[in-house]
Amino acid sequence: CPNGGTNCQIPTSALFDRAVKLSHYIHSLSSEMFNEFDERFTPGRRFLAKSGISCHTSSLNTPEDKEQARQIQHEDLLNLVLKVLRSWNDPLVHMVSEVQDIREAPDTILWKTVEVEEQTKRLLEGMERIIGRIQPGDLENEIYSPWPGPASIPGDENSRLFAFYNLLHCLRRDSHKIDNYLKLLKCRLIHEGNC
Amino acid sequence: LFIVINITPVNAQSPPGQPQVIGCRSYDKETVTCWWEPGSDGGLSTNYTVLYWTERTKTEQECPDYHSSGPYTCFFDKTHSSLWMYYFVYVKATNALGSNVSDIFRFEIGDVVQTYPPRNLTLLYETEKASLPYLLVTWVPPEKADVKMGWITLQYEVRLKEEKSHTWEKHLVDHQTKLKVFSLTPGEDYVVQVRCKADSKHWSEWSEESYIKIPGGSRKRDMTLWIS
Repeated sequence: CPNGGTNCQIPTSALFDRAVKLSHYIHSLSSEMFNEFDERFTPGRRFLAKSGISCHTSSLNTPEDKEQARQIQHEDLLNLVLKVLRSWNDPLVHMVSEVQDIREAPDTILWKTVEVEEQTKRLLEGMERIIGRIQPGDLENEIYSPWPGPASIPGDENSRLFAFYNLLHCLRRDSHKIDNYLKLLKCRLIHEGNC
Repeated sequence: LFIVINITPVNAQSPPGQPQVIGCRSYDKETVTCWWEPGSDGGLSTNYTVLYWTERTKTEQECPDYHSSGPYTCFFDKTHSSLWMYYFVYVKATNALGSNVSDIFRFEIGDVVQTYPPRNLTLLYETEKASLPYLLVTWVPPEKADVKMGWITLQYEVRLKEEKSHTWEKHLVDHQTKLKVFSLTPGEDYVVQVRCKADSKHWSEWSEESYIKIPGGSRKRDMTLWIS
């Protein structure tokens, strides 16, 4: 505050609104990217059916349905959101550099990857602010990055393509989860469970 | 003179034609229904099974419930529905002469959320309280959509037109379940509808129509009064 006042802070509800808008945007971009890539590279859409897709975030125990989401404490859910976001830092940086080498990739995929990477960082900062307000001093600072890194991906063209596809798929899913959880949290914390 | 007659038996029997999965829809982001249609039965009694697997199970299973959503459907209740996971569904038709399978239909529940339309659409023409009269349109969220908890968030679209007109005036509304519409023509009959969309890209059907006659509009008589 410039004059030492206390009322110049953005209200938490407004922070939440921004976070939800951002997460929604990130999810729709990720979704578009995945669909575009999927249509181009997996005609017949059976790539996923046959292949073993696995996400580096799957070890995070996120709520999988409405009941689980209802039961989880908001502190835990907030921290989960933070963990998922943090665990995308490295893979997104990798994706931005990788996407430039994929010759056949749809034109829009480059800017979308860059955009998702930047907006995810912004969302992470926003979430850290929100959590700092809701549970001051309790911010988990562990660096959570279970992504094994690009070194784990074999060098040939096909494996790289598949690894990218795999990441896009996971990104799409995780961004959807985050969007969903943030909307739940907003209803719980801002509207007292009555949206 | 030779006449070649090509005779095709009318009741030729054959293996079944290809069935088809038409699509899947979730009304509540918790359960999902898939619709399918049989191909030709090849003139024989044909047995249909709906088979599916998910990313997690990977092994094929049969549809858990063919009845709850009506004929030619497969219903996945809460215990058979997982969010954030691809489902792969196809139909297999079998008769005495062979079998045929549909293409595989892939979906994720979150992507096929399409709620019922909003309910209780009410119209109220407000002239007293405001300096400018307006039409207040209100509605409630659709059945089965848990918006209270935030499990589903909805965007609404209201459309209205003069009854005799062909063009709709459209208004997008985020979350809120009311809309004020100004500048309506006095004396005209209006028809109003609303629909909604969850985060997926699918709009619900339009709600039932509601009608209202905007009061006033007898300008000619007013004029006559002034003149006399």
